[in-house]
Amino acid sequence: MFKRIAVANDGSEGGRKALDFACDLAKLHRASLHMISVEQLPDFAASIDEVVEAKEAENHKFHDVLEHARKVAKAKGVTLKAEVVAGHAAATIVERVKALKADLLVVGFMGHSALYERIIGGTADRLVRLAPCPVLVVK
Amino acid sequence: MDNVWLVSALWIGLALASALVSIRLALSVALIEIIVGAIAGNVIGLPLTPWINYLAGLGAILLTFLAGAEVDMDVVRRNVGASVGIGFVSFLFPYVGCMLAARYLLGWDWPQAQIAGISLSTTSVAVVYAVMVETGLNKTELGKIILAACFITDLGTVLALGIVFASFTVWLLAFAAATVVVAWLMPTIAPWFFAKVGRRVSEPEIKFLLLILFALGGFATAVGSEAVLPAYVIGMALAPAFQRDPDLPHRIRVIAFAVLTPFYFLKAGSLVEATTLVSGAGLIALFLGLKMATKFIGILPLTRYYRFENREGMYTTLLMSTGLTFGSISALYGLTNHIIDQRQYTILLIAVIGSAVVPTVIAQRWFLPKVGAAKQEV
Repeated sequence: MFKRIAVANDGSEGGRKALDFACDLAKLHRASLHMISVEQLPDFAASIDEVVEAKEAENHKFHDVLEHARKVAKAKGVTLKAEVVAGHAAATIVERVKALKADLLVVGFMGHSALYERIIGGTADRLVRLAPCPVLVVK
Repeated sequence: MDNVWLVSALWIGLALASALVSIRLALSVALIEIIVGAIAGNVIGLPLTPWINYLAGLGAILLTFLAGAEVDMDVVRRNVGASVGIGFVSFLFPYVGCMLAARYLLGWDWPQAQIAGISLSTTSVAVVYAVMVETGLNKTELGKIILAACFITDLGTVLALGIVFASFTVWLLAFAAATVVVAWLMPTIAPWFFAKVGRRVSEPEIKFLLLILFALGGFATAVGSEAVLPAYVIGMALAPAFQRDPDLPHRIRVIAFAVLTPFYFLKAGSLVEATTLVSGAGLIALFLGLKMATKFIGILPLTRYYRFENREGMYTTLLMSTGLTFGSISALYGLTNHIIDQRQYTILLIAVIGSAVVPTVIAQRWFLPKVGAAKQEV
């Protein structure tokens, strides 16, 4: 049913659950699996160093996320293509899903506080609204 | 409140809250500090004591010094034609346009109009840089030209701020000569001194730099100029040395962002008049629109001349319309020196903040060059 599955993984518990689930789905459907991770740089920074520092911190974090993801995929016998892109999480994931022509996007449920969800909104919510393909939210 | 430690706790508490919010929302800590400062200033009233003003002033000097130290002279040299052309026009057009509008449209007096022009002439190098890393443009020739042009615009702004309000006497010439000589000597003397003293907990390297910045800043103030001017120039002079060994500027940055710049940005925010946000909304929109319009009139034709594609030209122009740090420094300079009043300051500062947000959002939403989200090496 699914030929190309994309999974968004930000290294959180929700992201890891989404990856586990996506690996199982990819194996079941013999689909290719692409993992998208988005580095978030500070908007409207006051100095270049603020950007560089945030980038280094994100690089460090996503280095571990990629290592972990490769181990999980290997253990489940799935070939994983992983990429880290910089930008705003929801918009960048949607853009990459379109470019990859994925037919399913798997995302984790972040579980922010009720106040945060009401004011800022969750990435998963936005992806459900904006993604060009079916979205599976893993809790 | 006379209790110096409670006042300190209040300010650092606000700085800590700003840092946490900025991490949570992935927004610049400077922007959050201005907003938190504005809320706290209008709700509880933030006390501005002489020592807070001193810390804020030192924060502005170090911020400017570090901005100068970020200038990549190789990039400027390699793209000198396009970057100097775009950078200079990017400063000149909004400076003149906003100044004339403030003077003749709004009836502000000349010094006030000058502050309006200078505050809105800026381009935020950091905002531009972040957007370029996200798109991968920082690795392209176009990106390097844009970045180099931003440095030139900032230099124009700092020079204007340092020169326009100075007293034109022989002492101003002496100050200019002293700044040039020190800037010429620093790339040789500073690395030699740093190697001689080594890295110590007592930080003789930082003390040496502060000595130079304070001495030239004092000279600048004595001749009616502004301490941020020599700070930016000395930062530029030391930029190649700092880029070879980024540890020292990193240590300075840690000190500045931990305990100095929060006082500067919180103070900048605390002086915002909440009532003016509503009553002056039209003027804020006018200045923001003018800044963007004059940047467009100046830069867009140049991008055609330098054979940028349409989309890249629009993108470059929009990014060059951003501004934050130098705009806020210029507006606060005007208020601190009683050139503009609090209402005018509020209008200019909010227009500056708007210029960090509006052009960036438009550029990313509608004019992103066909580079796409850049894959990052981690």
